[in-house]
Amino acid sequence: MRPMRSLFRSRRPGGVPSLNMASMPDLIFTVLFFFMIVTHMRSDEVKVRLEVPRGSEVQKLAARQSVVNIYIGRKDGQWSVQLNGELVSPETIPARIEQLRAKMGPESAERLTVSLRADKQTPMGLVSDVKRALQKVYALRINYSATESKTDSYHE
Amino acid sequence: MFRKRNHRQIPELNTTSTADISFMLLIFFLVTSSMDTDKGLLRQMAPPPQEHEQPMDIQQDLVMRVTLDDHDQLTCNGKAVTLRELTDEVRALAAVSRQEHVVSILADRSTTYEAYFRMQEAVVKAYGSLRQQYALQHYGRDYARCTAEERSQINDYYPQRISEAPIEEGGRP
Repeated sequence: MRPMRSLFRSRRPGGVPSLNMASMPDLIFTVLFFFMIVTHMRSDEVKVRLEVPRGSEVQKLAARQSVVNIYIGRKDGQWSVQLNGELVSPETIPARIEQLRAKMGPESAERLTVSLRADKQTPMGLVSDVKRALQKVYALRINYSATESKTDSYHE
Repeated sequence: MFRKRNHRQIPELNTTSTADISFMLLIFFLVTSSMDTDKGLLRQMAPPPQEHEQPMDIQQDLVMRVTLDDHDQLTCNGKAVTLRELTDEVRALAAVSRQEHVVSILADRSTTYEAYFRMQEAVVKAYGSLRQQYALQHYGRDYARCTAEERSQINDYYPQRISEAPIEEGGRP
């Protein structure tokens, strides 16, 4: 037994060889770049509480640079409207849309789309006020934002 | 003397922490960015009404009146319907009188947005299925896979004729 053991010992002099970690940073950088490309930064903080409805007929919204976000939800128990980053009242929407349109390039100003993210329980009166305000400044493309649900279960 | 110094090898930089640094960057990006793409129902609104505009004459029997009341009850031409029935009704009307029909939508001020959204979706679904059918018959492929030109042809064949009356204070205008 003894001579065998000594034979094994001599074969492995330095224990487990250490792994070469040199390519680890490269790997992680690749993952990092992937995430940087496929994601986008959250542009504005949503100040109102809302849950968008679920739908099965939804489609993706393209051309992010020509999209204006309007959020309608509860804030301290009150229904309020938020346009991009700040809370607004429906009456001031036309002026703000004009400002945003002026900042955009001519191409994206033409394709200006308003993404309406409204809470499920919002009364239609408020939504309709917002829509009429948008109509006034010819921001006619609206996207009723919703989460996709594959199932049709709510259709009774 | 100088030679001797040059013979020495440059000490290697210790790059062990690069992985940690890039990990931190990665986690930062994961936290601050969002993957969710904006999805929704894209609709085109009518331009604001002009003052000198003449009201169009539409045959009354080609108008479908869809209303939503303050209890989210959906009615179609005065008769209570479910969303699926609404889809079928709109489909039937749009298939027969493609270019002349009008779906007139009227919602109460206190209708919830969800009910309105589902109603919109049901109407869009009706047109979607008609267009899909046309695409399969004439181009032999799904509507979604048709070219832009074919799609606009289909859209012209089955136009969405939806009119939304402005909601007046206190109920029905």
